[in-house]
Amino acid sequence: MLENKKKLLTGSEIVVQACLDAEAGVMYGYPITPTCEILSGWIATGKPSLQTEDEIAAGFAVCGAVLAGQKAFTASGGPGHVLLQDGMSMAEGMRLPFVIIVGQRGGPSSGTVIYSQQEVMLACFGGNGEGLRLVYSPATSKELYELTRQAFNDAWQYRFPAIVLTDGYLLKMKSGVDLSSLKIENISAHPLVPEDKIVHWPNIYTMEEELNEQIGLAQKDWEEISPLIAKAEILETTDVEVLLIAHGIVGSAVKEAVKQLRKNGIKAGYFRPITLRPFPKKDLDKVCGWESVKKVVVVESSAGQLARIVRDQLAPEIAVSFEYLQKPGLGIEVEEVINLFK
Amino acid sequence: MILKILLAGDGGQGIQSISDLLAQASFANGLNITQIPNYGLEQRGGVSLSFLIISNSEIAYPRFSEPNVLLVMSEQARTRTKNYETKEIMKLDINDFVDKFKDLKIEKFSYNIFFLGLITKFLVEKNILKTEQVFGLLEKKLSKKVNWTENERTWKLAIEN
Amino acid sequence: MSENLAKFCPGCGYPITLLMLNKTLEKLGLQKQAVLGLDIGCALLAWNFLPINTFQTHHGRVVPTMMGFKRARKSSLCVALVGDGGAYAIGLQSLIHAAKRDEPIMVIVTNNTVYGMTGGQTAPTTLNMQITPTSPEGNIEEPFFGPELLKGIVKEGAFLARTAVNEPKQLMEYLEKAIQTQQAGHFSLVEVLSFCPTNWKTVGIGTIEKLNGLKETFKLGEL
Repeated sequence: MLENKKKLLTGSEIVVQACLDAEAGVMYGYPITPTCEILSGWIATGKPSLQTEDEIAAGFAVCGAVLAGQKAFTASGGPGHVLLQDGMSMAEGMRLPFVIIVGQRGGPSSGTVIYSQQEVMLACFGGNGEGLRLVYSPATSKELYELTRQAFNDAWQYRFPAIVLTDGYLLKMKSGVDLSSLKIENISAHPLVPEDKIVHWPNIYTMEEELNEQIGLAQKDWEEISPLIAKAEILETTDVEVLLIAHGIVGSAVKEAVKQLRKNGIKAGYFRPITLRPFPKKDLDKVCGWESVKKVVVVESSAGQLARIVRDQLAPEIAVSFEYLQKPGLGIEVEEVINLFK
Repeated sequence: MILKILLAGDGGQGIQSISDLLAQASFANGLNITQIPNYGLEQRGGVSLSFLIISNSEIAYPRFSEPNVLLVMSEQARTRTKNYETKEIMKLDINDFVDKFKDLKIEKFSYNIFFLGLITKFLVEKNILKTEQVFGLLEKKLSKKVNWTENERTWKLAIEN
Repeated sequence: MSENLAKFCPGCGYPITLLMLNKTLEKLGLQKQAVLGLDIGCALLAWNFLPINTFQTHHGRVVPTMMGFKRARKSSLCVALVGDGGAYAIGLQSLIHAAKRDEPIMVIVTNNTVYGMTGGQTAPTTLNMQITPTSPEGNIEEPFFGPELLKGIVKEGAFLARTAVNEPKQLMEYLEKAIQTQQAGHFSLVEVLSFCPTNWKTVGIGTIEKLNGLKETFKLGEL
């Protein structure tokens, strides 16, 4: 019998392991459900950390750390995620490799401490910028690890804030995961404020034109790297009549539903954006553009945050009818998706 | 093979503990498991749920509304799982055990151990676990704590039930 | 008293503080005017507990919320109920400014030295070397003294005090004084040392002993 390399781990434990393996130097954080265990788990490793007075301080401490060339991250959700948008905005404006793991919980306000997919807009377009931040949405425990590793690498390589957008269910879920076979190289950090020369670095500009120019430069970089990062998972590539779109853990449920529907002769297909920003637009257009597709159903634990992005990203010349399964703050199970076809 | 086990009780009744033992034992046998807790806000006294799935193939999604095994250990839990009662092969409701617990003189703090025993027996019949395996984990977890004698006695009663 | 099942842990200090508050309000005939704002933490569990208007706010934001309510409805008796984390960590800035402006609200700070609802993490009032999930080797910081800090900021007429849930006479006296302070148009803060056996991992008399031990660090009395 092959030696079982799997370990029983919760999502939070996997995040801590990924940050360790990514050689993160420090975590700044504040206790908030469902990400408390990431903070206490990281602290238990003995690596540098600080529980700050609030999430705003945590966010700016991360900015400070990366400016000095230290890989840093934070973790939060719900109202904490709202506060972190302040620091993330600075990271967006100054192109800082800010890494955050967001555990979505019910919103708005204190909502629930449990689960939702209601922080998609916040992650993708929060702050007062143009949404130039990398957003990854893992569907499984293993992917949670891989995307957290990737977040650090992409942040430091491309200098955009990177958000691993997960949720309270995946963080608290325990399962057997084999991380031993993954060989991921780390992109190294470098001081953005160098030690051998002087930099002068604003994030406020005197005239509109200066800001516009800066944004243009960032957008240019963004366009260049988007095709390298945007990724989707697609199932059933032929004769799809009903295309189901979902992300994160709901994607896992939809994937299983599609498999079962196919067994029963229903021509369902599955498209899961693995990155929400940049969105895998090319794949989306291709899949929605198939002749056989009669309709698209966007499935999410929110009142349409993913749907909005999908409609926005879809090429206008592709005419397809949309339907929605929206359950803000509630989990969506395999059976519920299957029942759409009854 | 896929088995969906929903354990529900009040916080403090040991729901998460017995779920952990079943999860660990199944995992040790090379099976896939997913386990998710579900709580209310309160630190104490709220409802405590554990969704446990055991399978020999990849598990697609960790939560379900049609359990195969349903354990209900309190009124709060009964209310909370009201809509979960379909497809179960084994339903354990504490209300059905009031007399038995009285006859066998099972202590309140051991109720969860008794149910652990019953569920273990069920899983043993399905060739998922071995009795000694779960007991070994139980012993490791609780033998050095108070009330072990009582817990051990309760376990044996459930297994021999 | 309350028809709703309280969700506080057995042995929690909050029910004592809340019932004392209610008793005081009742005595002064102020239950109708009273408005109780709750920070997010274990305080939030009081949302349906007393026969007075109550609402939850956000973590660290109950003070500016009650400031806004009071300014809009001066006839109300505004009470802000908050934990040591909400008052002295995330909400500290707002607390200092409310004190500085002499906002006529009454702040009750429940000090149990931990973040109770999230599992006992380090708080501003955690003692040096106290062990918590976020200071597993012992807290390296010194505790924070809220009323003492505000002493240098508040105006004449404000009321600052510290008491404990096992000092019922003093607790009631300070709550009454705080209410009178608000009626006279000034800021008040009463810090209440409170039980948290769940996160202190104490039982019975051990809980009381731990609380009494805190009194050596956090001095009771008016400031």
